[in-house]
Amino acid sequence: MVLTIRAELRKLLGLPTARVGVILGVLIAPLLVTVNAPATRESIADGTLGDPTDLGFRNLGIGLLGALILGVVSVSSEYTSTGDDSPGARQLTATLTAVPHRIRLLTAKATALVLVVAAQGLITAAATLALTEVVHGDAVPAPSAARVAGAILYWVLITLLAFAITLIARNGVITLTVLILNSSVVSVSYLLYKVTPLAAYLPDIVGPHMFIRSMDLSVRIPPVTAGLVMTAWVAAFLILAAWLFQRRDT
Amino acid sequence: MIVIDRVCKSKSRTQILREVSFEARPGRVTGFLGPNGAGKTSTLRVLLGLDRAASGTALVNGRPYAGWPRPLTTVGAALDGSGAHRARSARAHLRWVATSNGLPLSRADEVLDLVGLTGDARKRAGKFSLGMSRRLGLAAALLGDPPVLVLDEPVNGLDPAGIRWMRDFLRRSAAEGRTVLLSSHLMGELAEIADDVVVIDKGSVVARGTLAEVTGEHSTLEDAFFALTGEVERPWS
Ligand SMILES: Nc1ncnc2c1ncn2[C@@H]1O[C@H](COP(=O)(O)OP(=O)(O)O)[C@@H](O)[C@H]1O
Ligand SMILES: [Mg+2]
Repeated sequence: MVLTIRAELRKLLGLPTARVGVILGVLIAPLLVTVNAPATRESIADGTLGDPTDLGFRNLGIGLLGALILGVVSVSSEYTSTGDDSPGARQLTATLTAVPHRIRLLTAKATALVLVVAAQGLITAAATLALTEVVHGDAVPAPSAARVAGAILYWVLITLLAFAITLIARNGVITLTVLILNSSVVSVSYLLYKVTPLAAYLPDIVGPHMFIRSMDLSVRIPPVTAGLVMTAWVAAFLILAAWLFQRRDT
Repeated sequence: MIVIDRVCKSKSRTQILREVSFEARPGRVTGFLGPNGAGKTSTLRVLLGLDRAASGTALVNGRPYAGWPRPLTTVGAALDGSGAHRARSARAHLRWVATSNGLPLSRADEVLDLVGLTGDARKRAGKFSLGMSRRLGLAAALLGDPPVLVLDEPVNGLDPAGIRWMRDFLRRSAAEGRTVLLSSHLMGELAEIADDVVVIDKGSVVARGTLAEVTGEHSTLEDAFFALTGEVERPWS
């Protein structure tokens, strides 16, 4: 198992796209803190900011894109065609030939991904919150360690969700489009929330309750409940993905 | 030793393998011969655990492929393409494969040398020609110095020098006592390297035995093949 995890780490970090994901994830959030600093000072001054301790976390949410890329690429790289000469050939053939036990393979793959993304989340959170402190000083009080842990957990869980969806779809473009559109352009989850308050328990809405205090929702979900609900969602998607992967021909 | 026993498989509701049975023995080159679409690749994919059979068993040295904890030290397999992600260098690809089976990283350079790709070790696999991809696939198969080799159409895409090299390599591997199973739709090519021949057509094994047995009273393996498969020679196709 250790061998398989080491191989998966080497494989993931050797991909240029994954490296872009690592770098983007670490850089976006601290960059936003700096770029948005003047606008943020104004809104702190006129009191439109909401809970100021949320500030660093909101910027962190956008850096998530880097982690998403890692989650998607970890799987989609297995399914992309390896060359024009043999359109049907994919890396997955080499992967399963080396590690034919499919559940062991998926476990190692997910573990490698979690290791990379958790480290990335930790570094990014520390950098972003420290920078927020430097830029805004006492205007933005430091958040509790529990909230930081919640943010990193969210970061890891969303990545695993992207991993599972890509495995189900066997295609990275679909996952990236859905997840990016949903988080930036129109949130389908928020539209659903207008129809039924139950939609507040969809993974992308419930997750941020672990660390954001002033959500624009009337439902308030306690952080621990939010964490449990989100974990259950991700576990369900992972189990479905693993079941399909186990049954399917490649 | 490879033992395939009554393997059946369907895809999209058509039966593509019907009770396929044959053996490949150590120290011999076994040629798996059949026209395009006969079921050669499908059989090898079932053997390697990549696809699931509806029924029947496929064993390598007494165990299903997936039952080997570090399979690359028992079986070396090369199917279509190199298996390397196009953005990865040949060496980086071989290194992760070596890591997964607990083999030293130095094996990557050793097998690159064996297949004559040392000069292209740092080149991205996406920039490889068809022949180079086949060599890289073979290099990965050789990482664990396995006693069994399974190769799907190994001479496809190779230039004449490459074909000659492959022929010598396969003969040498069998002479060292390895079990060599290779598929091909090229009868002339197979007749030059195979000790044993298994002929498959439309998902069924139609003949198996030594090269001499399968050729029988026909003057060449090619004649025997057309007699067995009932394929008509169409000069225009
Ligand atoms: N994914 C698939 N869906 C339906 N039919 C398939 C699929 N893959 C292969 N086949 C069919 O299975 C048969 C055997 O194919 P294959 O094993 O690739 O033959 P060979 O390697 O001998 O050329 C062919 O008739 C092919 O059309
Ligand atoms: Mg084939």
